[in-house]
Formats: sequence, structure tokens, C-alpha cells
Amino acid sequence: MIFSLVVQASPVQSQGAETALRFARALLASGHSIHRVFFYRDGIHNGTALASPPQDEANIPAQWQALAKEHQLDLVVCIAAAVRRGVMNEHEAKRYAKDNANLAPEFELSGLGQLVEACLVSDRVITFGGRS
Amino acid sequence: MSETSILILMRSAPYGSSAARDALDAALTCSVFEAPVTLLFMDDAVYQLLKNQSPAGIGQKNLNAIQQSLPLYDIDRLCVDQSALSHRGLSEEQLSLPVESVDAAAIARLMAEHTHVMSF
Amino acid sequence: MEKLEIDGASIALDDEGYLEDLSQWQPAVAEHLAAQEGIELTDAHWEILYLLRDFYSRFEHSPAMRPLVKAVKLELGEDKGKSIYLMKLFPGSPAKLGALLAGLPKPDNCL
Repeated sequence: MIFSLVVQASPVQSQGAETALRFARALLASGHSIHRVFFYRDGIHNGTALASPPQDEANIPAQWQALAKEHQLDLVVCIAAAVRRGVMNEHEAKRYAKDNANLAPEFELSGLGQLVEACLVSDRVITFGGRS
Repeated sequence: MSETSILILMRSAPYGSSAARDALDAALTCSVFEAPVTLLFMDDAVYQLLKNQSPAGIGQKNLNAIQQSLPLYDIDRLCVDQSALSHRGLSEEQLSLPVESVDAAAIARLMAEHTHVMSF
Repeated sequence: MEKLEIDGASIALDDEGYLEDLSQWQPAVAEHLAAQEGIELTDAHWEILYLLRDFYSRFEHSPAMRPLVKAVKLELGEDKGKSIYLMKLFPGSPAKLGALLAGLPKPDNCL
């Protein structure tokens, strides 16, 4: 089956982001495909390049990057949600006259349309960290 | 797969978090893609529909304003969990838009008849 | 950052041409911005721009294309409530260009 995941949970404060990551790994291990992981609301913090947890704690943003690299996952961060919260790629940082960009590699910024498109082409869309 | 139809579960109170606004943004975008979308208000989300909100005092935009534009996006089906309303002592007359009142069995049917469900 | 000078007022634009301070909008701003796009504003343009401003004041966001077409159809009739009519007035993306000229935020739901 074709799945897409919607991640609304931020990596440290909520368990939802890690659960989404585990679910993604389980899907791939079972032979399903993942059309897209869409990061929305506080879930956009999964896309920061600056996350630096202590060495004995999970680095969820880094784990997304590793998984994406291994399986060519499409990790899309909602641009409107990200820019509001200060996660930007080079292009947006320039547009808003910020000194630095901080979107991690393997993630891209795009619009909510990518969430709807994911619904249109996926058999299942699973939300993590909703109702918060 | 049958033609995509999206059910958006609204489950959060109007202003304690951005959930209501973010869910509406997702719903409006569905309409841009011409995907039929139904909104189902459950739990504290029934408060989102109350008339005469004035959240300017807490620095928020008024949800009523964006809700009033839903018909222009062809989002005409707003369902409300009847028990969530009555548990909070609310009635349909207090809501800002016409709604379809649904019981538990009807909610189960809504979830079954839409191809995709997203929760906020 | 680009700035417009109109009647002695300095009006800051973001790098896509939208007003930084929406309260600075006046008809002369629209005329100036339209001229930059090679458009001379006629009555046909103005009724759409005022409809957009009314949409924003009622619904607190700039419309995407589909609701814009529907709002025009309801307010101004079937003939004008068509994307081809709006495309002729505001080439490219009527929702985006219309919002820009009407002094509104860039529409959020344009993908």
C-alpha cells in the first residue's frame, strides 16, 4: 500500500514524532511504500538542522534525515508553518532578511497543497500528534 | 481506490492552541484541489462554532471570520457531535453556521464513507 | 527592500512586492504597483480590487483562486465570475496579483 504520514508533533516535547518515525520504519520493513511525510504545525521542528540533544537521547531530526537518505523519502515541511516558527531554507532566509538558514538536509519547504496531494495519491494517510 | 474524500476531525478548543486555525487552513487547501471535504466537530472543538467570538484581546484572529468563508470554498458539510454539544450545555442555535447534528452511529458512518481522515 | 514613494509617504514592499504595512494602502498605491506590472487600472479592475478588500475585511484572509471566482460570481454576476475573465484583468495568478494590488497579504492557500 501507499502511505503518507502527517507529523504534527515536535520532536522533544511530544512522543508523536518518534512514533511516526518508528511507524515509517515498520511500513518500509513490511514492504509498503511511503509517498510523503508532511510536517505540519509544531511538527516542523523535526526539520531543524540545529537540534542538539545530549548524546544519550534520541536525535529525531537526525533520524529522519538518515531514514530519508536510505529510502529516498520525500520529507516536506509546511512552508507557512515553518516560516512562522523560524525554520527556513536559504531562499526563505533571504526573503525575510535573516542571517541564517536552518532547514536540515533531506527536508524541503512546500505548501499545504503537498498535504492534499498526498491524500489524493495515498491509500492511507496517518496523522501523528493531532489534537494538540 | 474510490475518489478521494477527506474528513477533517476538529477536536480542539478554539484558541488554546493553533489547532482550529491549522485545521481550517488544511480544509481550505483541500478545496483548492477540488477534493470534497467534510468537517466533523467533536469534543471541545464544538466551542469553535460559537457565535460572537472576539479573541482580539488575546491577540488572535477571529475564527468566525474564516468559518463564514467556508461556503465560498464549497465546504458545505459541517457535522457536529450531538453528545459533545449537549455535554457542554450548548445548542445548535448558539452556533455561527448551519450544522448537521450527528450521533455515534452517524460518526462511524462518516469515517467509513470518507477515503481519508485527518485529525486536529 | 524595495520602497515606493507616494505623496511623500515611503511605502515598504517585501521582495515579492506585497506591502509590509497593509494600512498604508491607498488607490494610488494600487495604480503605482499595477503600472509596474504593465497594467492600467480600469473600472473593471477596481471592482475586483474592492471586492478583494471586502473579502479580506469579512473573512480575514486573502482568497485562493476558487473562492475568488465564486465570490465574484455571487457579487458581480455569472459573466465575471469566471477564471478566464479574471485572468484577462490580472494575468498570471489573479488571486496573487489581485491581493498584491489590493494591499492584502499574499494568499496562503496558493500551494
